[in-house]
Amino acid sequence: MDIVHEKDGDVVIFRLSGRLDSNAAASAEADLGAAVAGAPSLAIDLSGLDYISSAGLRVMLVLARKVQQASGKLALFGLQPAVRQVFTVSGFDTIISIQPDAAAALAHVR
Amino acid sequence: MLSFVEETTLLLLDDDSGEFVDMPVSGFGTVIAGAALMDLAMHNRVDTDLEKLTVVSKEPTGDAILDDALAQLSQKPEDAEGMRILEAIDRVALKSQDYSAEALKRLVDCGILRQDSGRFLWMFRTRRYPVIDNREEQEVKARLRQILLTDEIPDPRDVVLICLVAACELMELILTPEELAAAEPRIEQLRKMDLIGQAVAKAVREIEFIFRYATSAA
Repeated sequence: MDIVHEKDGDVVIFRLSGRLDSNAAASAEADLGAAVAGAPSLAIDLSGLDYISSAGLRVMLVLARKVQQASGKLALFGLQPAVRQVFTVSGFDTIISIQPDAAAALAHVR
Repeated sequence: MLSFVEETTLLLLDDDSGEFVDMPVSGFGTVIAGAALMDLAMHNRVDTDLEKLTVVSKEPTGDAILDDALAQLSQKPEDAEGMRILEAIDRVALKSQDYSAEALKRLVDCGILRQDSGRFLWMFRTRRYPVIDNREEQEVKARLRQILLTDEIPDPRDVVLICLVAACELMELILTPEELAAAEPRIEQLRKMDLIGQAVAKAVREIEFIFRYATSAA
């Protein structure tokens, strides 16, 4: 899986693509977690993410917890239907804000 | 830090009698099996999605219980393609009596329980839960109360423990009746968050339904 990021003012925008599963979880957790210390307002573009497993959900949970502890904000956007379904069935959409697009995500975390 | 199998074995032990709480044998096996699968997931040996559970690494964990459970999931060539989570639970549940016996032995060996005339009793009169990890020296019970009674986002291990406590219907060990009533929506929210936990809860509910039906029909 690939992770790239850019800054938009005080918000870090991550773009994830590929599969977030047990193979990718450790590196994704390290990459995303490192961003929390510097800029606890994160928006994550998942439009390129084809698949997320339980290991991937754990990455998101750990990240969301760190952001909360840092008094920051987190929003996801651009979820493909299959990925959106995983967030819905697991109830993660009640813990992590899911926004329809980048503008809404940025507005949420600012 | 205790494994989920060891934590669950403790949960299922009645403090007063020193014996396992009364629940259908198949329900007991399901919860222990679920705990073993959750341990394997935390060790990155299995992964799950909405369709199936897949063994992603056969490398031994060094824990005899977990390595045996891993072997149960890797018996046939087609197992490499994954299996329904409920099938995985059923397979591992066949060994649950062995796992809980081994877990009890470990808990005695590490000084949490003592064996007395066939009963397993806590070493200390006041029930003390082991710490959840090295970062936070709080009792597990206190940590779970904090998660259940606030909007604090749990860590993955908290989620698994809440799933297991709820599946065992032992939430009253953590919350008062008043707190339990108020926290029901929160418990439902959190117990959905682990896909193995969801499958365990579904299986236990089905077993209890069958058990109640059979009992009332007898």
